Amino acid sequence: MAGMTITEKIMAYNSGRDKVKPGELVWTDVFSVMTMDYLGKSTFKSLHELGKTEVFDRERVICVSDHLVPPPTPAFATMLNEWRQVVKEHNIKYFYDLGRQGIAHQIMVENGHVLPGKISVGTDSHANTYGAVGAVGNAVSVTDAAVAMAIGKCWFRVPESVKFHITGKWQPYVMAKDLSLHIMGMMHWNGHLIYKALEYAGPAIEALDIAGRMTLCNMTVDLGAKNGIIAPDQKTIDYLRPVQKGNWEMIASDPDAHYDAVYEVDVTNIGPTVALPDKLDNVVPVEKVVGRKFNKAFVGTCTNGRLEDIAVLSQILKGKQVHPDVNFILVPASQQVYLDALRAGYITDLVEAGVAVDTPSCASCAGIHTGVAGDGDIVLSAGNRNMKGRMGSKNAQIYLTSPAVVAASALSGVISDPRLL
Amino acid sequence: MSDKIIRGKCWVASGYVMAYDIVVQKFWTDPIDKALNSKFIMSGVSPEFDKENAFKDAGYTFIVAGHNFAGGGKSIEHVVTGLMGAGIKAVFADSFSRLQFRNATNYGLPFITVKDLVSICQTGDELEFNMETNTVKNLRTGETRETAPLAPFVLEVAEAGGLVEFVKQKIADGTAHMLR
Repeated sequence: MAGMTITEKIMAYNSGRDKVKPGELVWTDVFSVMTMDYLGKSTFKSLHELGKTEVFDRERVICVSDHLVPPPTPAFATMLNEWRQVVKEHNIKYFYDLGRQGIAHQIMVENGHVLPGKISVGTDSHANTYGAVGAVGNAVSVTDAAVAMAIGKCWFRVPESVKFHITGKWQPYVMAKDLSLHIMGMMHWNGHLIYKALEYAGPAIEALDIAGRMTLCNMTVDLGAKNGIIAPDQKTIDYLRPVQKGNWEMIASDPDAHYDAVYEVDVTNIGPTVALPDKLDNVVPVEKVVGRKFNKAFVGTCTNGRLEDIAVLSQILKGKQVHPDVNFILVPASQQVYLDALRAGYITDLVEAGVAVDTPSCASCAGIHTGVAGDGDIVLSAGNRNMKGRMGSKNAQIYLTSPAVVAASALSGVISDPRLL
Repeated sequence: MSDKIIRGKCWVASGYVMAYDIVVQKFWTDPIDKALNSKFIMSGVSPEFDKENAFKDAGYTFIVAGHNFAGGGKSIEHVVTGLMGAGIKAVFADSFSRLQFRNATNYGLPFITVKDLVSICQTGDELEFNMETNTVKNLRTGETRETAPLAPFVLEVAEAGGLVEFVKQKIADGTAHMLR
């Protein structure tokens, strides 16, 4: 009997089975459920429609204010007030509201609400991020989240697994984001990995810190995958130990597990990478677009708003000046990230260089909050999506790339290769 | 005609249909309500649907699409409730975005995998979907395609009137913990 992949094992163990097969529909236990300001009120409403007034476990339903904070309009302020009221009524233990906020996916990992070998769901598409610590993280809708909040369970179709075995040595100024975009170009955004469990493994993955692993797993949803996952190792243990909200055990794929496909990528050959406007998979090496003008720079989001990303900005921009034709906005992914970046001196370096630092939130990434793009804007972004209108105006262009490319380019006002600094 | 056979007119996608275009950004925060969500459904897909009730008034029963229908990574349920409110009874595609496949299952709208139905259908064609034989027939041309059968769970949820009703019943009779 063939072995199981890490995702199959997690689906089996959390549904009281010894084994599962891809394609099978199973109900599994859910370790934690995340909902946020944007959809949270509807989620709780749906909970009541199920005939329940209480959540299955007040310590495992996590509420976060991230899309609407701080409120830019009276309508958002009112939505937030209603949201706070609903969270309070349900006696939720972990409520990360304005002041203690962050982007939900950052909050979930940073505070140990997701754990290896367990399944967590959230009402936002980038819940795939949780795979960075060996959890199955899955985006679900309001109804699914309400069911999970009510009974601590969710239905899943067990996905086929695909492995990306990543070898080689990371080159200077090459980040997990570049690998992510490279794979996007290889596999295409619109399709080949739909429904798949995408597992990253190999020496170049082991070399990545948790922040880089989060970037990789985060963008698996944009490849169409059901989840992205990396088996836990010593780095996972060290990261989770001070924050974990429960016990867990090491878990990994069996050596004889079946994969639908295995792809080998040597990271040594990957340089800084850029996705051209409108399509995520229209990906080129930075050399191809060097010299193109842009007027807005953005670093933040659940993809690239972490301390390690901000450190790279500081490394490139410290003691220098952002080009006068560029508006550069940095939005740390959480208050904790913000504080760590302040203490490390990065925020000082960046403000001195002419970067505007905004309060942690999803910011302009979903096109509804601070720093949105207007007609004619050309944005160089370290976010995750670049379809027309994603960051605001449909008449803006969005290039996606790594924080290193954004920082290097911000100095000159044209897209630049950080390796040539 | 049995309730396992549905007939009606189809709308055929000419390219990739994103969730972002089925429900455009300004409606993402609307409450879930089939009638409300259907008003501007598909308004980003084609200018002809960018008027109140335009898609609904066109009177389609089915959508026929290619790969990754309703993709782009949005979990919003308005996509499914809006299509249902507009009278859509089933969507056929080569593949679906998993988020919207879940939503469709949870609301009892069949999202059915059919290979390359796009190539034998034109917008306005009358189709017949038979859930017992797992086939879809173009009544204009007589051509038939096999559809992937719906899993029993999907049918159970649809028969219960959606996931909320399905789980509500299990909670009420004390069997929700037995779901596995």
